[in-house]
Amino acid sequence: MSLADLPLHDMRRAASLDALCGLVSERHARGEATVLLAGGTDWVVEQELKPPRPDADPLPLVVDVSRMDELRGITVTRGLLRIGAATTYLEMRRHPAILERAPMLVEMARELGAIQIQARGTLGGNLATASPAADGVAALAAYDASIVVKSVRGERRIPFSALQTGYKQSSRAPDEVIVAVEIALPPEGSPWIWRKVGTRRAQAISKVALAGIAVRSEDRVVRLGLGMASVAPVTATLFQTRALVLSRPLPAITADALDAAVLSDIAPIDDVRSTREYRKHAAKAVVRGFLRDLGAPV
Amino acid sequence: MKITLTLNGLSREVDLPPLVRLLDALRGPLGLPGTKEGCGEGECGSCTVLLDGAPVNACLVSIGQCEGRAVTTVEGLSDATHLGPLARCFVDHGGAQCGICTPGMLISAEALLARRPEPSDEEIREAIAGNLCRCTGYQRIVDSIREASRERRQAGGAS
Ligand SMILES: Cc1cc2nc3c(=O)[nH]c(=O)nc-3n(C[C@H](O)[C@H](O)[C@H](O)COP(=O)(O)OP(=O)(O)OC[C@H]3O[C@@H](n4cnc5c(N)ncnc54)[C@H](O)[C@@H]3O)c2cc1C
Ligand code: FES
Ligand code: FES
Repeated sequence: MSLADLPLHDMRRAASLDALCGLVSERHARGEATVLLAGGTDWVVEQELKPPRPDADPLPLVVDVSRMDELRGITVTRGLLRIGAATTYLEMRRHPAILERAPMLVEMARELGAIQIQARGTLGGNLATASPAADGVAALAAYDASIVVKSVRGERRIPFSALQTGYKQSSRAPDEVIVAVEIALPPEGSPWIWRKVGTRRAQAISKVALAGIAVRSEDRVVRLGLGMASVAPVTATLFQTRALVLSRPLPAITADALDAAVLSDIAPIDDVRSTREYRKHAAKAVVRGFLRDLGAPV
Repeated sequence: MKITLTLNGLSREVDLPPLVRLLDALRGPLGLPGTKEGCGEGECGSCTVLLDGAPVNACLVSIGQCEGRAVTTVEGLSDATHLGPLARCFVDHGGAQCGICTPGMLISAEALLARRPEPSDEEIREAIAGNLCRCTGYQRIVDSIREASRERRQAGGAS
């Protein structure tokens, strides 16, 4: 195991976000890698799993961003919730504004790993690792969040729908730092779901997870966000399913049509945690459950 | 890198490569072997310590990230000659058998009781969900923590 390499890395802190962007970009231009270390709950574990490093391979420079003010904190401004990329899940699930306005995030954070992971792990790390099993990313998909990124070229916002480009690939440039996520909050009291299927163990990665947020007006759903983990090479946004539900009154949604839409939206695989067939079954079941709660006869 | 931190209430300085794991720094140069290593990857909780009051896995935290922060280990819950009341409850109520998970359990329990003086059994189980125990089947650990919370409330909140 290459945990032994850890002490060989140099670590710095950056004086400001601009200084961090400058450092990352300079190094990137020279072909040198920089690791932004937040909670370490992905990166440190990865170091252990890595094969030993050939002596000639340069080590990346590690920059501790876990306490960088510009990447931290939670604010709500005119219905826009902004969460700094280095804010921990524990801070999120205890924050009054999130407790009041984004209960789905509270539930997601409460079920992400155990409390020791929640006290360190961050959305920045979850997004950068970009695992299709990532719970935080699934929740952000459901909120149609924007990802605020910054580099020496300036700051920009990546809408969630334009973020994922392939398995663990994203439209964020390698020298762009994730600064925050922004969520246009649905009206207070909007129905939501957070469901992790197939495991009771706190630490286990889910076989399927569904994040959902809906705004209802009489017998129709007028805004719907869905994000599903572990059913495709990227976090599934269930586009066909959203389109179906938004296209007709709730009483006119049938279980068959809903199941068909879900199946066309996902491409699950067999792996150590579950099978393709089970994942299809679970995906259909959790979406039906949410729609049933919303009042569809499914 | 010189790192200054508050460890169990005392200011300490160490000079270590910044990416040395907090776990190794504690058990080695800082002379506190109470914190145990199980899995080394965040799964078992036997390395749990408090970082500014929150329970974290010391196997995933770098010592360089601890500059200026307060770390509490299991040694900080008792003094040199007396077990703290929480540890005493584990002894009295069968919450510790082989003892490997115990330092981490005690820290997770301490983090809980500091915030929730009267936790439900469900809250206790959630608080220790990241601490694996091969011996007790957990019920006795839950009993020990519930008892500690009762004693603490009777003693007027002091630990
Ligand atoms: C025991 C255990 C259980 C877990 N359970 C779950 C679970 O249930 N659900 C789940 O989704 N995940 C789970 N995880 C994975 C992990 O905790 C999350 O993905 C977490 O969000 C990672 O955040 P971090 O701050 O620890 O990332 P780090 O490990 O600090 O960083 C990960 C990567 O992100 C990059 N990065 C970090 N911040 C930024 C930034 N601001 N800008 C650009 N790049 C950045 C780093 O350079 C690194 O490459 C678990 C992990 C463990 C060890
Ligand atoms: S040794 Fe740190 S969690 Fe297992
Ligand atoms: S007492 Fe042996 S592992 Fe818990």
